[in-house]
Amino acid sequence: MAEEAEVVRNFKEWMEKNEKGAIAVAAIHALTTMIKNSGASTIMELEILLKAAQEQLQEMKFEGQRSKVIQLTAACELFARHVTRTALDIGDFEACKQRLIERGMRFAEQADVSRAVIAENARPFIRDGMAILVHGYSNVVCGCLQHAAKSGVRFKVIVTQGQPECVGFKTASTLQEAGIPVDMILDTAVGYVIQEVDMVLTGAAGVCESGGIINKIGTFQVAAIAKEAKKPFCVASESYKFCRLYPLSPTDLPDAEKEPTPRVEQGIKIRQPPSDFTPPSHITLLLTDIGVLTPSAVSDELIKLYY
Amino acid sequence: MQKKVPWFSHLPQYEREASLSAQLAERTDNDIHPEVLKLGLKLADWLIVGGNARTEAMLKAFSKVIMDYNPPKDHETGADMSRHLDTRLKPMISYLVACRPLCIGMGNAIRWLKGKIAHLPPTLSLDDAKQHLHEQMEGYVTEKIVFADRIISKHAAAKINNNDVILVYARSMAVEAAILRAHKEGTTFRVIVVDSRPKMEGKQLLDRVSAAGVACTYIMINSLSFVMKEVTKVFLGASAMLANGNVISRVGTASVAMMARQYKVPVLVCCETYKFSEKVMLDSICNNELGDPDELVASNNTLADWRDVKDMKLLNLVYDLTPAESLTLVITELGYLPPSSVPVVIREYRKEVTL
Repeated sequence: MAEEAEVVRNFKEWMEKNEKGAIAVAAIHALTTMIKNSGASTIMELEILLKAAQEQLQEMKFEGQRSKVIQLTAACELFARHVTRTALDIGDFEACKQRLIERGMRFAEQADVSRAVIAENARPFIRDGMAILVHGYSNVVCGCLQHAAKSGVRFKVIVTQGQPECVGFKTASTLQEAGIPVDMILDTAVGYVIQEVDMVLTGAAGVCESGGIINKIGTFQVAAIAKEAKKPFCVASESYKFCRLYPLSPTDLPDAEKEPTPRVEQGIKIRQPPSDFTPPSHITLLLTDIGVLTPSAVSDELIKLYY
Repeated sequence: MQKKVPWFSHLPQYEREASLSAQLAERTDNDIHPEVLKLGLKLADWLIVGGNARTEAMLKAFSKVIMDYNPPKDHETGADMSRHLDTRLKPMISYLVACRPLCIGMGNAIRWLKGKIAHLPPTLSLDDAKQHLHEQMEGYVTEKIVFADRIISKHAAAKINNNDVILVYARSMAVEAAILRAHKEGTTFRVIVVDSRPKMEGKQLLDRVSAAGVACTYIMINSLSFVMKEVTKVFLGASAMLANGNVISRVGTASVAMMARQYKVPVLVCCETYKFSEKVMLDSICNNELGDPDELVASNNTLADWRDVKDMKLLNLVYDLTPAESLTLVITELGYLPPSSVPVVIREYRKEVTL
């Protein structure tokens, strides 16, 4: 039990230390530390430990924030897959363990690099005079825009408020600090401004097998309006957010992402779903660290990774 | 002679009596194994139907052929066997094709078997080589069909939720297994079985599913638009999936899928990966199977004398092609895939076959 709880503690410590850090990096860090400290002497034991740790991590609650289950699951499954592969490649357990620890430790660096790679991949899509609509807050999206601004592209950004957490303000201030002109609009005003927008850019909580994305509530609405107006809808995301889910509709989400029980205020039932699913038909391109992908290419990458 | 429909005159015409008996009479060299003979007749009579059953039966027959195989005097090692056995199988395969055209899954299995025969370890003795092939073929059936179906039904059942209205067309073993499994797991849902003349295969599915206690509605394909409004998911089976994501399935499937698309209902196709083909087809005209035209004659014999009517032809197509755009998801033993991923699966999994 002590070991399992340790995973969560390690995860939280890492998240506190690295304010801008990604969930996946923290999870992999916690899992690697667990492997390092574990007394397991066979791959089987290790896999059982990992499974327990994954469950422990998935149960974690994030106060005042959206659930992180999709990213956590994607990271844990990626790591488990990596363990199986390494075990097949290297017969000797100790050598295998050593390799896993090394790779796990390097993952954090790679994650930093991947954000820079995405920013570089996104660069050609951001051109002088453009107006870019951003929904929600995403480190990757901000990274892309900051990088483009730094390389001398002059463009403006329209940010939605991002109710109910109002994360749009965080996006707006981050971009403004980088010298990018920012307009803030109400979430409901997307249809009003869409004509002056040249591209929509969002992040993703998870990229599904179909190439669709699970993201902050409202993303699907923005995508639908963008599609109606024939504006490109691009998603910036690290490839470690690719997950083996295949939602069929905006409500077909994993349990943890589903709508919580409505609260009642002054006799009015208020529903607040945290996330929605944007189908691949509404997405133009995914800007990732393994390249600029069409939605259908996501499944290709997942197949290569998992078999 | 069959009266040919001009657009489909390039396809092998349905001429059961002529082709089979003539073929058998011509063959004096006794080169067709009795198991294969028996299988061919059953296939021609549609006694064995469905891609999985046909492939399984074919591999079983070929397995007997191989076990009974005796090489000519100077061909007695495993290495000779790999060369000679192939020529032995050839006339049997063409006999089976004459009985009824092979489906893509059978073609893939034959290609796989030929590869296994060609790459027999040369050091094996004759008996060991036979045993080796026999085990390989059994493995193919278990792994690619039996286990695959079990996993597909698990994945498909996971997509059936409470209060769903599931629409199915004709009969697919994988879809049937999924429905039964979801019902067993305690999900409450309703099934609408859509059927069509002349095969009426949906009745068999209806029998099995309603016997298990699932609430069912049975309709003909002409009332499709009437029920589609209440449907939440469409589950389809497949004879084959092509590299461009299009699906070959029982004739009528395309209409069902397109109607579902029109109503924005998600369409899920259950298909084992051994039915994936690197071929590309754009329509169901270039390649199809012609069924018995007399099946179309109504039971009250209205059309009984159609052969005597000048310019009158009957067309009984067996398959049609559903475009990838009307599919939402393909359920395979590898998990959920978009139809665009068919070539990826072929690329990643059949490396050894294409070598």
